[in-house]
Amino acid sequence: MPAPRRFGAVNWLGLWTLYRREVLRVLKDYRDTVLGPAVSSLLFLAVFHLALGAGRGPDGSNLVGGVSFLQFLAPGLIILAISQRAFETVAASLIFDKHEGIIADILMAPLTPAERMAGYAASAATAGLFTGLVVVVLLLFFVDLPVRAPAAIVFFALAGALLHALLGILVGLWAEKWDHYSASLTFLVIPLVFLSGTFYSVQQLPELGQSLVILNPIFYIIDGFRFGFTGQAESSLAVGAILLLLVDLCLGAVVYRLFATGFRVKP
Amino acid sequence: MLPATDPARCLKGTRADPMVSGKNSQFPVEPMLAPTPPSPRPFGAFNWLGLWTLYLKEVRRFVKVATQTLLAPVVTTLLFLAIFTLALGRAVETVGGVSFVQFLAPGLVMMAMVQNAFANTSSSLLISKVQGNIVDVLMPPLSPGELTLGIAGGGVSRGLAVGITVGLVMWMIIPMRMHAPFFVLFHAVAACLLLSLLGIIGGIWAEKFDHMAAMTNFVITPLAFLSGTFYSVERLPGIWHTIAHLNPFFYMIDGFRYGFIGHADGSLTAGLLVLTGINLAMWWVVYRMFAAGYKLKA
Repeated sequence: MPAPRRFGAVNWLGLWTLYRREVLRVLKDYRDTVLGPAVSSLLFLAVFHLALGAGRGPDGSNLVGGVSFLQFLAPGLIILAISQRAFETVAASLIFDKHEGIIADILMAPLTPAERMAGYAASAATAGLFTGLVVVVLLLFFVDLPVRAPAAIVFFALAGALLHALLGILVGLWAEKWDHYSASLTFLVIPLVFLSGTFYSVQQLPELGQSLVILNPIFYIIDGFRFGFTGQAESSLAVGAILLLLVDLCLGAVVYRLFATGFRVKP
Repeated sequence: MLPATDPARCLKGTRADPMVSGKNSQFPVEPMLAPTPPSPRPFGAFNWLGLWTLYLKEVRRFVKVATQTLLAPVVTTLLFLAIFTLALGRAVETVGGVSFVQFLAPGLVMMAMVQNAFANTSSSLLISKVQGNIVDVLMPPLSPGELTLGIAGGGVSRGLAVGITVGLVMWMIIPMRMHAPFFVLFHAVAACLLLSLLGIIGGIWAEKFDHMAAMTNFVITPLAFLSGTFYSVERLPGIWHTIAHLNPFFYMIDGFRYGFIGHADGSLTAGLLVLTGINLAMWWVVYRMFAAGYKLKA
């Protein structure tokens, strides 16, 4: 009889296997999961460019906060792609596995709740960041994107991807039907991202909107990320960074509890 | 007295059990009745009942999940309205003689309608195919024409229902006047029908959900986005201006918008002809697909 396999405090092999499975699962469908969002980003870029009037030139009328509108828009589109991919990947994966009953394969493996959380969150964040990278490369053909603060770009991209990955795990565990999933996407995630200043400067908002938008964590992701490219932020970066870390920690704690108690996945 | 077609009675009559019907039977034997199969239900040149049933199935399918099929488009459309107005409201003051919001609103309504009309027929057929219950649609006595009409009718109904819902919500926010009701109605129906038929073609052709997602991502959404919903195609430079006029979505949105604001970028007559022509052609393609059983019948 083979002796039980030994591993230390962290089951690295198990964690790596879960991570690899989840990442390969997304990338296998790269046409729909990576190229689809990339095309949508380009469409948004084209539509805004045309709606603004291509022939306006640098006369100052198209400037938002000192940079051209497309330069302002591009970072928002990148975050949009990262967020949606990170959220959808893990939520759809969990719901699918629950429906098919193959979630047992994950629950049966010798993985602690923390390892499960890490595997799912990291793989979703990876998928999101990879999609974001593809979008960046495509956008570079059309928009001049100077890098002013690489640290801010990396930090806010990571924090944002993680936030949406954890949110995706929450929805994936909670949802019992695909209806729940698409409802959470349509009524929660997309409105939060769209209304966070992805496409416009929050200074364009009426006063009520300006005071509401600072409660939206996605706003800080986009603002900090955009700062990395344009060098201009509409809020305090430190506040944004601390707030995002707190939100990520809280979401992580909730997800950990859910995995530990086996919420809706264990009888 | 039971009618002759009573199933219990038929069963008894046809049973070949010697204990019951044989000579040595100790039970009183009923006089043998000739098995009378139910006569085929007569209907005329058109199976109205079948068509109505199919249509009802298609409509109930989306009404049951109204949150996703009616409410979600409203939220998405309002989001688009908000972001475009906030991002461009100051920079772009007027387009085609009206304010940017008034220019944008009809296009957004049209986009919501066509996307939902397409989604309804394509998902209905694809899910039925994947789950195998497409036979329930193929087995009933429905001709290819009746199938086309019933399924496309469901898609048009969803498109129009979404259009009316989204339109009413927009009308509460934006001052919209109807300038030419005929153009509003014609373009709404023609666009929904066109996308419903396209959805049927997609649904029959696709074998996996991936195929459908690819079709939506790489064909339908780009055509809808680049049709002049968000900008006047007059703005487009040289060759792109010509290409835009080859996009049927352009005529849908242009004519529909004309019905509201009284200004069109392209020729209205051309729009009416193009939409009628493409609809007829698509109808013929779908009819041929159902008649031949392309990817549907073994």
